Amino acid sequence: MIQHIDVHAVLRRSVSGSYTDLVTRPTGRAVREGIEQAIVAEASIARIDFTGVGCIDYSCADEIVAKLLRERLRVLLLSGLTDGHREAIEPVLAGHGLAVLLERPDGTLEPLGPRESADALLEDLIARRLATRTPGGDLHLTAA
Amino acid sequence: MTRLVEVPASFDDRTFDQFAGGFVTAWANGERLLFDAHAADWASPYGLVGLLAAGQAAGAGGREKPLLTAPTAAEVVSYWSRAGFFRAAGELFEIHGRIPKAKPPEDSDVLLPVTAVRAAEDVHEVVSHIQQRATAILTAELGVDPKATMGFAMALSEACQNIVEHAGTGGWVAVQSYHWRRRLAKRVVVIAVADAGVGFRHSLAPTQATRFGTRWGDAAALEAALVQGVSRFRDPGRGQGLKGIRNYVSRWDGKISIRSGTARISITPSWDDDVPLADGLAAFPGAQVLIIIPEQGTRKA
Repeated sequence: MIQHIDVHAVLRRSVSGSYTDLVTRPTGRAVREGIEQAIVAEASIARIDFTGVGCIDYSCADEIVAKLLRERLRVLLLSGLTDGHREAIEPVLAGHGLAVLLERPDGTLEPLGPRESADALLEDLIARRLATRTPGGDLHLTAA
Repeated sequence: MTRLVEVPASFDDRTFDQFAGGFVTAWANGERLLFDAHAADWASPYGLVGLLAAGQAAGAGGREKPLLTAPTAAEVVSYWSRAGFFRAAGELFEIHGRIPKAKPPEDSDVLLPVTAVRAAEDVHEVVSHIQQRATAILTAELGVDPKATMGFAMALSEACQNIVEHAGTGGWVAVQSYHWRRRLAKRVVVIAVADAGVGFRHSLAPTQATRFGTRWGDAAALEAALVQGVSRFRDPGRGQGLKGIRNYVSRWDGKISIRSGTARISITPSWDDDVPLADGLAAFPGAQVLIIIPEQGTRKA
């Protein structure tokens, strides 16, 4: 089962209805805790949707993405990411040696993170039959 | 008795050490201070927030509120007012001189007037306020790739968070765009952040002092924070903020400089002649951060 989590909605609920930016440690911590409460036990993958989120800084990327991966989830699927969001998330993943999956608008997947961690994540997903490669080489979720 | 501290006529990061030297000497006597800016003819955002930090320190610990004589030149005092300086200074100084009413800086190069940063909510306000105008200036006037403009907001956020998480007191931030004729012959966007808090050495001492041994001091603390990305927190994800700022400014041929206590560390691009590490400076309290992003493309010959 893939569980969809709307980060912007969690931000508005957890911190302030008027904020659109994921900045500062306390905000990141509150949003991560909101996501952790929302995740159900039977979800094999959590799709964290950043649509509607303005800026993300390194502190929030670390509090949310890195800590969810280190402490809570084996696979994290990020959707609705802008290039600006990636600027904050990629250095954080590199710093921790972690990888996530980016879901593009057409549904194909792209690993984000250091090469070794990204390769290991893809192998794991394919071995667990959570993702499959098309003849063209694109990666898709099997249980979308 | 009141001790005089002269504000340099041209007050920016280059003249800040001269100001800090005068401040520290006068401050040591424990008497009331008078900051004399009547002859000021220009001040950068760094000068303005640095002056506020000095005022904060001068009035701390039950000391009498310091005095400040405002610039006498009409266009200078008008700019200081538009930059939001006097709104913040009113809480810290007994101000003497004629202060014009500040107008909203909508059409000026003041991207963010001097803004107090005390808590995480203030950082949210700063980032939210600046994004649209900063993006327009960075892309249209500085030639920064539109995809990379969010990095500017990230750098600003992280610089402000240093105050909230490490200073132990409030501080100020200001952002401005201007044409830097004398030093670079280009437009630049400048972020200046200052506080009069505990400084990097005090903040990092519990986790880093032993590791550095006899080398421990303001310079070693700055080196640990900016170059090695260490933090006072043991959480492995901490220390990303300054590292992220460093990567961002390097990518856009920019500069970051942090002064704390008796030292200043800088990541300097080719167009700047600042030294990477200056030690033995006047012991100014807190931390003062300067970030400069220049116009991209052709350079001054």
